[in-house]
Amino acid sequence: MMSSERRASMAERRPSTLDRSSVSAERKGSVTVVPHLAGIEDPLPETTPEKVDVLLVGTGLVESILAAALSWQGSRVLQIDSNSYYGDTSATLTIDQLKQWVQDVNQGSMKCYESAKLHISSMMGRGVYRSRDFGIDLSPKILFAKSDLLSILLKSRVHQYLEFQSLSNFHTYENDSFERLTNTKQEIFTNPSLPLMTKRNLMKFIKFVLDWENQPEVWQSYKDQPMASFLVDKFKLEKAQVFELIFSIGMCYNINVKTPEALQRIRRYLTSFDVYGPFPVLYSKYGGPGELSQGFCRSAAVAGATYKLNETLVSYDPDSKIAIFGDGSRVSVSEKVVVAPTQCPENSQNVPEQKYEVQRLTCVVDKPCSEWFGEGEYASVVVFPPNSLKSGNRQAVQALIMGAGSDVCPRGTSVWYLSSTETGPRGEMDLDAALGALEESIMRESSADIENDEGLVEMDNSGHLTLNSVKLGQSFKEYSSRDKLQIIVKLYYKQFTSTPPFEVVDPSIFEINEPNNLATKKLIPGASDNGVLYTPLPSAEVSYDEAITAARILFQSIVGSDDDFFDLDFEDDDEKDQINESAVIDDDEDAKMNMALDVEMSVEPVEFAGEMEI
Amino acid sequence: MNTSVTSIKLVLLGEAAVGKSSIVLRFVSNDFAENKEPTIGAAFLTQRVNMGDHTIKFEIWDTAGQERFASLAPMYYRNAQAALVVYDVTKPQSFIKARHWVKELHEQASRDIIIALVGNKLDIIENGGERKVAREEAENLAQQEGLLFFETSAKSGSNVNEVFLGIGQKISLKPAQNAQDGGQGSSGLRINDDSRIDLRAPYGQSSAAGSCNC
Repeated sequence: MMSSERRASMAERRPSTLDRSSVSAERKGSVTVVPHLAGIEDPLPETTPEKVDVLLVGTGLVESILAAALSWQGSRVLQIDSNSYYGDTSATLTIDQLKQWVQDVNQGSMKCYESAKLHISSMMGRGVYRSRDFGIDLSPKILFAKSDLLSILLKSRVHQYLEFQSLSNFHTYENDSFERLTNTKQEIFTNPSLPLMTKRNLMKFIKFVLDWENQPEVWQSYKDQPMASFLVDKFKLEKAQVFELIFSIGMCYNINVKTPEALQRIRRYLTSFDVYGPFPVLYSKYGGPGELSQGFCRSAAVAGATYKLNETLVSYDPDSKIAIFGDGSRVSVSEKVVVAPTQCPENSQNVPEQKYEVQRLTCVVDKPCSEWFGEGEYASVVVFPPNSLKSGNRQAVQALIMGAGSDVCPRGTSVWYLSSTETGPRGEMDLDAALGALEESIMRESSADIENDEGLVEMDNSGHLTLNSVKLGQSFKEYSSRDKLQIIVKLYYKQFTSTPPFEVVDPSIFEINEPNNLATKKLIPGASDNGVLYTPLPSAEVSYDEAITAARILFQSIVGSDDDFFDLDFEDDDEKDQINESAVIDDDEDAKMNMALDVEMSVEPVEFAGEMEI
Repeated sequence: MNTSVTSIKLVLLGEAAVGKSSIVLRFVSNDFAENKEPTIGAAFLTQRVNMGDHTIKFEIWDTAGQERFASLAPMYYRNAQAALVVYDVTKPQSFIKARHWVKELHEQASRDIIIALVGNKLDIIENGGERKVAREEAENLAQQEGLLFFETSAKSGSNVNEVFLGIGQKISLKPAQNAQDGGQGSSGLRINDDSRIDLRAPYGQSSAAGSCNC
């Protein structure tokens, strides 16, 4: 299997002293298997290495996946981040970290972001909630049950560091109300509101889309045509179904999406259904990409990578191959320096243009929003198709709703992540209109049955009597006087990326990151980033689909081939563990809660943090 | 016959070269545990210990070196129910570092985490080497901070198992205690987590395994 010119893999370079058959023996383990104690046996040096194969700057998801892939493949990796936390553009932040982040954005020291506006309710300052009760994602993502990233999570065993929950409710906003998606065959059959003919057409389309690539005769003539025309012409679908398919199932951004691209995205949803259960999508608890980044970094560290937060890259000289850091230390790099555009050295002149805009509005609200979740679930997706909002939106607005059960916010609250690919002031108008629609809907739905408000009832038993009565009082007030929704945190920002709001993952979008001056060996005079390879920033895409593609292509350009990309063969876990896993969860949960309750919160009342507008 | 299994996430902290890894290696590789062959994935080491009518499964997380530049991720501390803070009885500096880690754990980890302070390399003293960290000093720290305290030799194996048994005993007392103080917030607030999805168990395949206990 292994070709001889390949670099020695982790298993070959660091064989375990703990042999499988005789655990206390000093014999070397089998070389084809990753040693069980890689990363734990040797005392590690206290200083940064003098020489590495690859230097990675930034701990965003793509860089972190790349770090793990390279480390297990056998490369010596040093990964740094100028922030005090992991994740960079994928980070999951506490409220205090978020305040600092907003300041950094508005002072221009957080590159690729603009116009951050943060409003924090005085409830935070009063100590009702604490900074660490929240995990706010800078670029929230959902994980399709059948996807590249999911297989890599399993292969790398990074999934063992994480907890995943299901998301089955996708809502489409139409005519001022939320329609839950009819997404299973059974539901299509039993849905009384669908005419028989529509049902038949829908079923016909679903059957086709699962195998669309093998039936070019059906769609070939629509190759460059919008998906909507294809659905109407070929499958005689009504507008409601067309919108659901394109915007909720396909999660496309506008009505002009091309047929093959939309087909790809619709299939992604349908094939993910019923893989782990009757839902297409998962997400990680405690935060999304920020958690995954940490997991991949840990995996890389286990395989020998060195980590240093609060460290910046000052410059890199491709001739001497020396990288110099903010603290004056330096490292010799034998292969590549890979940098996130957010963390490029001062005086960089090779950073790819970040011409695409993603606008985000993230709110923490004082409502559990369980009305929108499936049974036993804590998250849902709401899609606002074009022209469904009062702002007359041209692009879809996507909203990811996360409840307290996902452990990103305290009980009784939820986090609303809204995003749009609309540019300029229209983007913010669309986001505001979508927020208004969500607010109206939740106030209507939650005041209708206050007794069933889980958050309140369970608050009763928690012992937090003050909190409890305050909440109860507020809710009754809302019930009677239709008060406005309490928004605890409200954050707007724009992020720029070199990745277009893509329809399908296209590897060519990463080629622009290859510094073309290297090919000609012509360096830009005075540039501190000559010879640096740049990673793509997260795009507007709500799924993780782009991350593995990006990491794999970067891996290939560093190693020469992607054969070794997570080509891992771990010793298998005890199968018995799987069955017993469920017995242990309650303890974990208790521990987690206490952690969340343990933190001190700054007392100064904060109304606004950071400069509001540029 | 259906013994319950409690899974405990245990994290290791301590200065480099104090023997963190040796203690764990000794624990997972000697034969006091019922399950002789340790179950080890690349993510963390696991070792089962039978304690009367139930089994404790330790999931042992090493820092993987990420503590060197103060770069441990929140993920490392999250849900950790036990921690070993290890120092070298012949190196005073490592004891100072141990105090630091205890403080760090109080700040970062859950409030009811069980911390065992472990003075390692006792064998050096037994062989005539000089002790540099007084037992009383460590005992004082343990008492002030509510820690379990052990002096061990990973080299000879002396007292290593007792560390894990000690933690296991303290943990198995916990559920009862929790029930009594009516949840100072913790248990009452928790959602009963059937919501966790096991990525290794796709739909259909998992149902057979799940129903076998009926």
